[in-house]
Amino acid sequence: MFQPFQYLAPHTLAEACAFLRDNAGKAMAMAGGTDLLVRMHDRHWNPAYVVDIKKIPGLTGITVNGDGGITIGAATTLNAIARHPAITARYTVLAEAAHVVGSYQVRNRATIGGNICNASPAADTAASLLALEAMVSITGPDGERRVPLAEFFTGPGKTVLVPGELVTTIELPTLPAGSVSTYRKLMRTRAVDLSQVGLAVVVAGGAVRIALGAVAATPIRATGAEALLAGRSMPDLDIPAIAREVAAAASPISDLRASREYRLHMIEVMARRALTDLLAPKRQ
Amino acid sequence: MTQSLIGASVPRKDALEKVTGTARYVGDLSMPNMLHARILRSPFPHARIRSIDVSKARRLPGVKAVVTGRDFPNFIGLYLVDRNIFAVDKVRYIGDPVAGVAAVSPQVAEEALKLIEVEYEELPAVFDPFSAMAPDAPLIHENLHQYKLVPVYFPIPHTNVANHMKIRKGDVEEGFRLSDEIIEGTYHVPQMQHCQIEPHTAIAQVDATGKVTVWSSCQSPNAVRKLLAVAFDIPVGKVRVITPYVGGGFGGKAGVTLEGVLTAIAMKAGGRPVKLVYSREEVFRDTMVRQGLVAKIKTGFKKDGRLVAQQAELYWDAGAYCEYGVNIVRAAGYSSAGPYYIPYMKTDSYCIYTNNPAGGPFRGFGMGELHWALDQQMDRIAHHLSMDPVEVRLINAARDGTTTATGEVLKDIGLTKCINEAARQIGWGTPKNPLTGRGIACMVKAPAMPGNASSAAFIKINEDGSANLLITATEIGQGADTALAQIAAHELGLPVDKVTVSLPDTDYTPYEWQTVASRITYSAGNAVIAAARDARNQLITMAGEGLGIPADQLTITDGVVHAVNDPAKAIRVADLALGLNLPNGSARYGPVMGRGHFIPEGIEGLDPETGQGKKAVSHWTFGVQAAEVEVDPETGRVDVKKIAAVYDIGKVINPLLAAGQTEGGIVQGLSVALYEQLQLQRGRVMNPSFVDYKIATAADTPEMAIGFVETPLADGPYGARGFAEHTMVPTAPAIANAVYDAIGVRITDLPITPEKVLAALRSKGKGGE
Repeated sequence: MFQPFQYLAPHTLAEACAFLRDNAGKAMAMAGGTDLLVRMHDRHWNPAYVVDIKKIPGLTGITVNGDGGITIGAATTLNAIARHPAITARYTVLAEAAHVVGSYQVRNRATIGGNICNASPAADTAASLLALEAMVSITGPDGERRVPLAEFFTGPGKTVLVPGELVTTIELPTLPAGSVSTYRKLMRTRAVDLSQVGLAVVVAGGAVRIALGAVAATPIRATGAEALLAGRSMPDLDIPAIAREVAAAASPISDLRASREYRLHMIEVMARRALTDLLAPKRQ
Repeated sequence: MTQSLIGASVPRKDALEKVTGTARYVGDLSMPNMLHARILRSPFPHARIRSIDVSKARRLPGVKAVVTGRDFPNFIGLYLVDRNIFAVDKVRYIGDPVAGVAAVSPQVAEEALKLIEVEYEELPAVFDPFSAMAPDAPLIHENLHQYKLVPVYFPIPHTNVANHMKIRKGDVEEGFRLSDEIIEGTYHVPQMQHCQIEPHTAIAQVDATGKVTVWSSCQSPNAVRKLLAVAFDIPVGKVRVITPYVGGGFGGKAGVTLEGVLTAIAMKAGGRPVKLVYSREEVFRDTMVRQGLVAKIKTGFKKDGRLVAQQAELYWDAGAYCEYGVNIVRAAGYSSAGPYYIPYMKTDSYCIYTNNPAGGPFRGFGMGELHWALDQQMDRIAHHLSMDPVEVRLINAARDGTTTATGEVLKDIGLTKCINEAARQIGWGTPKNPLTGRGIACMVKAPAMPGNASSAAFIKINEDGSANLLITATEIGQGADTALAQIAAHELGLPVDKVTVSLPDTDYTPYEWQTVASRITYSAGNAVIAAARDARNQLITMAGEGLGIPADQLTITDGVVHAVNDPAKAIRVADLALGLNLPNGSARYGPVMGRGHFIPEGIEGLDPETGQGKKAVSHWTFGVQAAEVEVDPETGRVDVKKIAAVYDIGKVINPLLAAGQTEGGIVQGLSVALYEQLQLQRGRVMNPSFVDYKIATAADTPEMAIGFVETPLADGPYGARGFAEHTMVPTAPAIANAVYDAIGVRITDLPITPEKVLAALRSKGKGGE
């Protein structure tokens, strides 16, 4: 049940940012509302004002840039991302991650900006964006700034955003031709669950980037494993050893969803399988 | 009756309303001046209430009523009346109702709860059945020996045992002496929830004459009426229960649930209607859960696979209240042979109070829990003897002439046919891939109901030739309205779309004990046959007189009464609906109203010391499921590829509905096997939402093969047996047996999680089982 609140839908970014700054602590931004409204219903958050950002021009939509990179408006729904041809073809890791968040109905509402601003360590798109080295564009009362996703999260539920700031777009940098990627999600049921482990792997040119979700206070990169992979290719890679190194990057907890031990074990299994799938010579 | 409606896949009568969203549920109802209720609940698993101060809550503007156990120190319950409506002197679980508020809005009601001051004195608590049975355990119900009860339950005074059900069939020690081998096993089942899509919801209003009307999302309007009348000491006729469509029951809306607290609040609300909608958290924690079980089974058998003796100790974690749960414990006792013949038996089924959420009925009524143990034990016997698990089941299957745990001699049993057909459907004995396993599990269930659990039906014939079927069975998604309309139409000689089925209103629809126990098609079906035949006889009598043809030469087809040999000699049912009009302008008889009832005859009590008797239940329904699974030994994940299900249901009234019921049961059974568990920590439900209480999704649905055997039941409608809950009972043990077949490890505590599978594999690698 909701506490009474006022709903506002500003038409400009300036208006939205100013209101959010002036009502810091009392106003919250809403995109899809799939996290916000649930917490309001449960009384965890009781904002006096809900500021809907979906009516602000430029915050919705997917643009393929001249260099092949992609800019995604923060209020773009996960279903729109999961089925976008350029994303499914070249940024598979993000399409796969967007596709496994919640249910189809949730993904019709939930947005990529909301998914990262909620800053759950288990956010599926966060790990994939981290592996893609995405950049986050932020607008606030004092203007714009760009932050690498790697610096965006500061803890569970915490980001670098200050009151009045909104994420406007997320940019996916261009990838070399022939890049491949995948997102693997460990969950209890086959659909509609939060991650026990999220694993994003991007093979871009000579580099392999690996990110993990749900196994640390924020989504993290497995840099040790990445170093073992750098500049090498099959059959010179000791995939099982690299998979162990991926697990070494994690510091999971035991909770209702899985034990720490099972998470560590599964990171290794998932990493080994994902790396083998992406790096092994394709069978004809 | 040119084309029989019995056995026809008639589409659901409620389909259009439900797929278009126009079907109305209690949650859709709103009334002028309606108030909203909220319940204050105990934060402690076990505590004495020192004081409650509601004065501040009463003063909050918009609050119209505040009620505590002091206002209504009454007890409520079905079989063992152990439950206060609101806690009086003690709270017994985290969530026990302490006070209730009615206010002009849900927000005000919730605000008022915060203003109620309760002083508690915490008491030692127990959270598992063994601690609760220890000699020095704190007593959860000190006055157990004074509670009212139906005298087929046997509480042990001054302990936490609310019912001790005993089976003593022969001398079990002699049975073990006659056995070649003996194995023992312990099996665990955690608490679960039903997860109905519609939360428990009700509206109650008390008018100026004191009449109580309750609109409730319940399975059993007549039981709610009776239990409210007894609890509040008002005549049954002064309580009216109205039940629109119900969004899922699965046992969780049987008996009485939220109607007790709500009626107490409505009695103080100055005649205004009061609505209470449980939150999902309340549904998980504060409506009856499936009881936990620890089953210890010791089985003696011959080298050729024949069972000789079984000793079963069933320790049920019944939670804080067992008003309904005592009967699950009894049902498990008299069903403790499972679907097999066992000559020597000793069973002790204990219903044990703990400070966990209160247990109660759940699809299967104890059978899912019991068979989790029995059918894995049977599998272990087969493997122990290096025999085929199907073969061992065929050897031991109950059949005509064998006896049950209570000594009842069985007849008209088709279990072996089900075993053979399920084995064939799963490809038993055919080659399979590595890490793939197949398992089989049999089951039996009887309707667990008192000997006088009856049904009644009225049929009104309208002047357009249509009929109204008045019943108090609830449409909880199982398709009762459709099956009963089919039966009525079949008997009346009307098209099925001419039959409108009422929703229950206890002031106007006739008695129905409860929509539980998979008994509606069986019991209400018989009542509908009787009512339809009564109406039909009236129509034929009038037509015979009007046409000058003896009644035994008339029949009814498509709404026309006609001579069997000459369809031209006919009168329309529509023209007879209000009576027989004679050529001279006069008339006879009057409007046609059929009435019928049914009570299953011959159900007798059991000997309290031995549990032996002639007939413990009205009838038994047997069935079998076989599973094929693939196990990933690196991740521990069990992938259920296929389930085959074959049931002997006597007569398939509606193949479409029977298959749908079976598919739903399989998916719920799979969900229980792999996912479901209320995670309890010192009595606290840690996962009271779908975020962390996982249930199977559409993506988890396996391939399903469904078949039926039809061995008619003597007193079933057209031979039909009760059939519904049965569909989820054997799924979990079949899957567990398949996992064993695949990787050689046996998971004995539900659910079969990847972590447990991995741990078992590691332990097997180290030489354990």
